[in-house]
Amino acid sequence: MKGTPTADSSRKALSYSKFYAGKVGFAPKVPVRSLEDFSIWYTPGVAAVSKAIEADPELSFEYTGRWNTIAVVTDGTRVLGLGNIGPEGALPVMEGKALIYNFLGGVNAMPLPVKVKSQDELISFVSALEPSMGGVNLEDIESPKCFEVLERLRGEMKIPVWHDDQQGTAGVTLAALYNALELTGRKLRGSRIVLFGAGAANVAAERLLVQAGADPKDITVLDSKGILHPEREDIDQLMLKNRWKYDIAIRTNGDRRTGGLKEALKGADALVAAAGQGPKMIKPDEISVMNRRAIAFFLANPVPEMLPDAAKKGGAEIVATGRSDYPNQVNNSLLFPAVFRGALDVRAKTITDAMVIEAAKELAAFAREKGISDHQILPTMVQWAVYPRVAAKVGQAAIRGGVARKKLSAAESLHTATAVIEHSRRVMSALRKSGVILDPPE
Amino acid sequence: MTPQNRRKSGVPGAGVGEKLQIRHAKKDELAAAADLIVRTKRLNNEFDPLFAVVADAKPRAEKYVQAAADTPGKLLMVAVEGSKVVGVLRAEIRERTFYEPLMQGFISDFYILPEYRRKAMGNEMLEKASAELKKMGAEFIVADVPAQNEIANRFYVKRGFRAISSLFGKAP
Repeated sequence: MKGTPTADSSRKALSYSKFYAGKVGFAPKVPVRSLEDFSIWYTPGVAAVSKAIEADPELSFEYTGRWNTIAVVTDGTRVLGLGNIGPEGALPVMEGKALIYNFLGGVNAMPLPVKVKSQDELISFVSALEPSMGGVNLEDIESPKCFEVLERLRGEMKIPVWHDDQQGTAGVTLAALYNALELTGRKLRGSRIVLFGAGAANVAAERLLVQAGADPKDITVLDSKGILHPEREDIDQLMLKNRWKYDIAIRTNGDRRTGGLKEALKGADALVAAAGQGPKMIKPDEISVMNRRAIAFFLANPVPEMLPDAAKKGGAEIVATGRSDYPNQVNNSLLFPAVFRGALDVRAKTITDAMVIEAAKELAAFAREKGISDHQILPTMVQWAVYPRVAAKVGQAAIRGGVARKKLSAAESLHTATAVIEHSRRVMSALRKSGVILDPPE
Repeated sequence: MTPQNRRKSGVPGAGVGEKLQIRHAKKDELAAAADLIVRTKRLNNEFDPLFAVVADAKPRAEKYVQAAADTPGKLLMVAVEGSKVVGVLRAEIRERTFYEPLMQGFISDFYILPEYRRKAMGNEMLEKASAELKKMGAEFIVADVPAQNEIANRFYVKRGFRAISSLFGKAP
């Protein structure tokens, strides 16, 4: 989840952004010993490399930076909690994302907000990027457009396409849920789960939960009009306008609940809210109808649907939010750098749900090794060893799923991911030490 | 009947797979059939603003199905699972003035609840209704669907129907 603005962070963001004028940039990877070297890096020498790649396009992953480069693409239609602020407005966010990709995942990510007039134009733009990219991260695209865009691009592209607001949020939510269930003596199968909000995050969460073993009949999903069920008045409209939500309405909610949040929460074990700005969107008396030892996640940023204190007052035992200033931050940044690291290291053609589930399991396992409690169900971003660990599992899952171009052993996966991420951290450290990157002025 | 009171009536949830019956609607099924008729009208409205549904659609639908069930030359069939009405088909015999064949079986409304779609039930309902209409004197069958409803258009084309006339609309 993305950050929480405070007066201090807003002020710093504005002044630092002006000072640095861009958070990421291009730096050479090869030495230029003299201008003679350009006959190697550029023409005439480079023609030999081009011909080799022409004969075997897969060599573009060997002879160029394609193996480690992704595009961070948005149309700027749903940026943070700010809504449709346009592609220019989205640029600082995409730069920030690129920086996180680089520092935590060792991935070269290129911020690319684009001005497009239609969904088809966005799809053809992204699709055309394929030759120069190892993958694509879609970001901040409104729902339900984001579902169609991701589905079509995943179908037609031979490199991974990832929509962080769907798969990233759903993946880290699943990781948090694994440990919350563990702490409260539950298993995914048999737990009654309520998803409040049917946008990008929860639509993906529903699919991931079912793939991970949850019984769809035990899942209840609500949108702004209440509980989704197969005979809701607007079901035919959903079929035509949002078939993802339609499918959820048909396959979930086995006991045919109708009504609102309270009706859904009665006897529920876990709530995942990704519904909109709080802090009073959900009330303690709604939480209190859940089962004892209830789990409640409030993912809206910057203001969670409900504040943790109020949820505890309502009887929730384990509470998580998207914010860093409360315990249990359900933070996408724990996942996406590692997922792409793992996918790129094996040259995956796509990122399957099985790969995301493996990532979630490893994220949860890492936290358990460090010790989990009701206020510590996930690792934190400073535990950087979690990234290569998760990356290795993602790579191995890609190989098992038959979507990897390159086969690595589990040990090789871990070694490669560790080396690439360490390299990125060394670059940062060297650039700061040498004064190429200055500390911000105060 | 709304989903809420259907649940209260004790019908078990998601009971897809129980024995399905396709037959003439019984008296106590008319309210449920009317509910499904209203749903078809709302669905049609998704395709064209000239199909905006009136506020009192429910009572109108109740009279409409009542008439279809009672009037000779009209047909009201339902698909029933257990005691739950999951599909409805309304049709009537219309005599043409100038063309042959003269007698047409006119399917005006056809709706199946989403969970019961794609299970060959639509086909079965259409066949039974066609047979019924033939007995009532129909020499051929037509069905009225919104021009923009591609799903419905495909359904009929796949079963050997073809578009025979077009209805154009425009605000005056």
